[in-house]
Amino acid sequence: MKAVVGAFKRLRINGVFVALVLISVIASLVSPYFLTSYNLQSVVRNLAFVSMVALGQACLLILGELDLSVGPMAGLCGVIGGLFMVKWGWDPYLSFFLVLLVGAAFGFVNGSLISFLGLNSLVTTIGMSGVYKGINLVISKGRAITGIPKEIHFLGQGDLFGVPMPFVIMLIVMVGIVFLTRYTPFGRYMYAIGNSAEAARILGIRVRLIRVLTYMLVGMVAALAGMLMVARLGSAQPSIGEQWVLNSIAASVIGGVPTTGGVGSPAGALMGAAIIGVIENIIVLFGVSPYWQTAVSGIIVVGAISLDALSRFFATKRKMGGIAQ
Amino acid sequence: MILLEARGITKVFPGVVALDNVDVSFQAGSIHGIVGENGAGKSTLIKILTGVYTPDQGKVIIEGEEVHGASPLFRKLAYVPQELDLFNHMTVAENLFMPFDRTGFEGFVVNRRRMFREARVWLDKFKISAEPTDLVKDISVSNQQLLQIARAAVSKYFEILVLDEPTTSLTTAETERLFSVMRELKNEGKAIIFISHKLDELMEICDEMTVLRNGVKVAYSTIDQVSRQWIIEHMTAKEITEDTVFRPESPSQEVLLDVQDLSGLGFSGVSFQLRAGEVLGFAGLVGSGRSEIMQTLFGFLPARGGRVTLGGQPFALGSTTRSISSGLVYLPEERKQHGILELLSVKDNITVSLMDQVTNLFVVNGRKEKQIAQQVVEDYAVKTPSLEQPIRFLSGGNQQKAIIGRAMNTTPRILIFDEPTKGIDVGAKVEIYRIMKTLAEQRGVGIILVSSDLTELLRCSNRVITIYEGRKTGEFDVETTASTAIMDAMFGESNQLNGKQVKAN
Repeated sequence: MKAVVGAFKRLRINGVFVALVLISVIASLVSPYFLTSYNLQSVVRNLAFVSMVALGQACLLILGELDLSVGPMAGLCGVIGGLFMVKWGWDPYLSFFLVLLVGAAFGFVNGSLISFLGLNSLVTTIGMSGVYKGINLVISKGRAITGIPKEIHFLGQGDLFGVPMPFVIMLIVMVGIVFLTRYTPFGRYMYAIGNSAEAARILGIRVRLIRVLTYMLVGMVAALAGMLMVARLGSAQPSIGEQWVLNSIAASVIGGVPTTGGVGSPAGALMGAAIIGVIENIIVLFGVSPYWQTAVSGIIVVGAISLDALSRFFATKRKMGGIAQ
Repeated sequence: MILLEARGITKVFPGVVALDNVDVSFQAGSIHGIVGENGAGKSTLIKILTGVYTPDQGKVIIEGEEVHGASPLFRKLAYVPQELDLFNHMTVAENLFMPFDRTGFEGFVVNRRRMFREARVWLDKFKISAEPTDLVKDISVSNQQLLQIARAAVSKYFEILVLDEPTTSLTTAETERLFSVMRELKNEGKAIIFISHKLDELMEICDEMTVLRNGVKVAYSTIDQVSRQWIIEHMTAKEITEDTVFRPESPSQEVLLDVQDLSGLGFSGVSFQLRAGEVLGFAGLVGSGRSEIMQTLFGFLPARGGRVTLGGQPFALGSTTRSISSGLVYLPEERKQHGILELLSVKDNITVSLMDQVTNLFVVNGRKEKQIAQQVVEDYAVKTPSLEQPIRFLSGGNQQKAIIGRAMNTTPRILIFDEPTKGIDVGAKVEIYRIMKTLAEQRGVGIILVSSDLTELLRCSNRVITIYEGRKTGEFDVETTASTAIMDAMFGESNQLNGKQVKAN
């Protein structure tokens, strides 16, 4: 237990964790259904997808970048997976692996446009969202590709010792990404670039290369999330990933990775995603119209960013006072 | 008649006394030049006179009335900054009269016809050769410069004009046009404060002159008593010889770096050699191109031409990664923006460029990391409560020492210091001078010191190269040269290369 607390402190996510616990306690108080194993399993299963995308998004935010095409990218990857497995009859595992490479390729396109042509990441990834969404519709014609091979259904529907598989896979991804950001030179350079890309270049860091590689990582993670969703649904729905973009940013910001970059841990993004997941679950348990969910997600995002900005504003004020002494 | 007066102005910033009991007054119908080296306190004085800063002591008096805070009397001053800040995609007339409510265009709808008609009067008066309907981006830089002055003067309250280095981007003929405008304003009884680094211009246009040095007013005179020599003598401190010298002793003859005909953004045809164990100073005003030369050499800015030999091997420009791995390290002038990684800890800031020393098989070893960071903190006397302290909470001097320590652990052969003591207090300055001397003498590092502080260059370097408007204007052995000769070359007053005359431009 001490080790866990220590790790949380080092990752600076103890605060968000306390918030998550508090919200969960409130949830269990207001609804007797919250703590049922059925409900918790479904919360955790839903959580896995957004968290996974958020882990990638957090890496980009640390770098001072942003990818608004993660959702459409995941959707397109799912549809391409369906194409491989159903229409072309390829081996499901090989297809799964190839789709991850396709995701990396999409990330490479995003990253290269932004890094080598110096385009604005916001506008570029909004534009690319349209491209991915469009290709998705061209391939799927707007209809789900059904008949996904049974072999891979367990990746989305099964569980390991009662823990849903997507969540297990997400945890593995998280360990990998936290390790990457925290214990490798690559990760250190990500933080350096997020602090100041110019300073990083003066230190001899290959800024553009690291940027492109991080976009590729995000592409792969989005593809993985998309494919797991396909495995869960048993069909490749063109609409997969539509809700993930905003939530992945919100989760990161709530988890302590600000939109301005340079600090925070991707592990925080998981906490952030969990907080959002629990809040959305409360809404469902209360029987509030699901249409409200979209509004609530939006409120959470804007609220989280405002809180972040406010806390920075007050921190700056404190700092100024400290220097003047 | 005295329009504007400052009495006993003192302004202290953390670690620096920017202005120390300065008295100065500006009269109607007179052009008053303010000169001083960078950091002498000119811009602080201007900011106090225009009400941007409040002085810690002393008072500002406008037309006999003491002013505080946001007094409407400050509207009598028209300040024209050095950089152009016009609205490029709007018309000349709109630029001239904005904000409209201050210039007689009250009301919800702007009467464009009237605006264009009235603009023409101002354009004629300020000798601006442009139509009121032209977009600002389409008129020449000199016209933009004059428009910026005209805009400041349009205000109905205008009495005092403050010009901050208005001629840096103007040709001689354009400068003459500006001067004739200034003379007309003077004859109308306006007071003009003129800040410039160009001595000939100051001599030509000013009626009186005040010299600042290290925040102190060191001289004042009417123009008939002023000579170029007088200005230079007062600007450069006489204390140069009294102070301790930090010049490395007996540098070797081994050439570490040979730069031939280097050209890039804002400079061209720069050649020089750097030897092991020496400090080579680069003197030049802000904007002379000295920082650009260094950043191009380092690969941060693109080169337009030139050959570089590093340690006897041809060296390809254009990649900072290659520069670092070849042992060429640059310590930037903009410490906050380019030097430190603000949000990270002291430890992370130090080890970020030493990753090959702290990793085993792609994994960072936390213990080694701490050891190395601790070593740097001790060796370079970085004062910090802990290694985990965010570096932004350290003082400028300690940040600089941490950065130097970081650079030194990459075992560089050549270190470029770009204004290393900017914004640093005197004590920390001396520590940094001492570090440079030690590095040169004990490790044989070749050091390039870029500075606009001549005193600093004379105390620390073996040789000094002067840069003026993107060209090398001289190369001097510090021990055998009078400081005024270097000053002359810095200001483009003479063109001396190893005693020979070279062609300017």
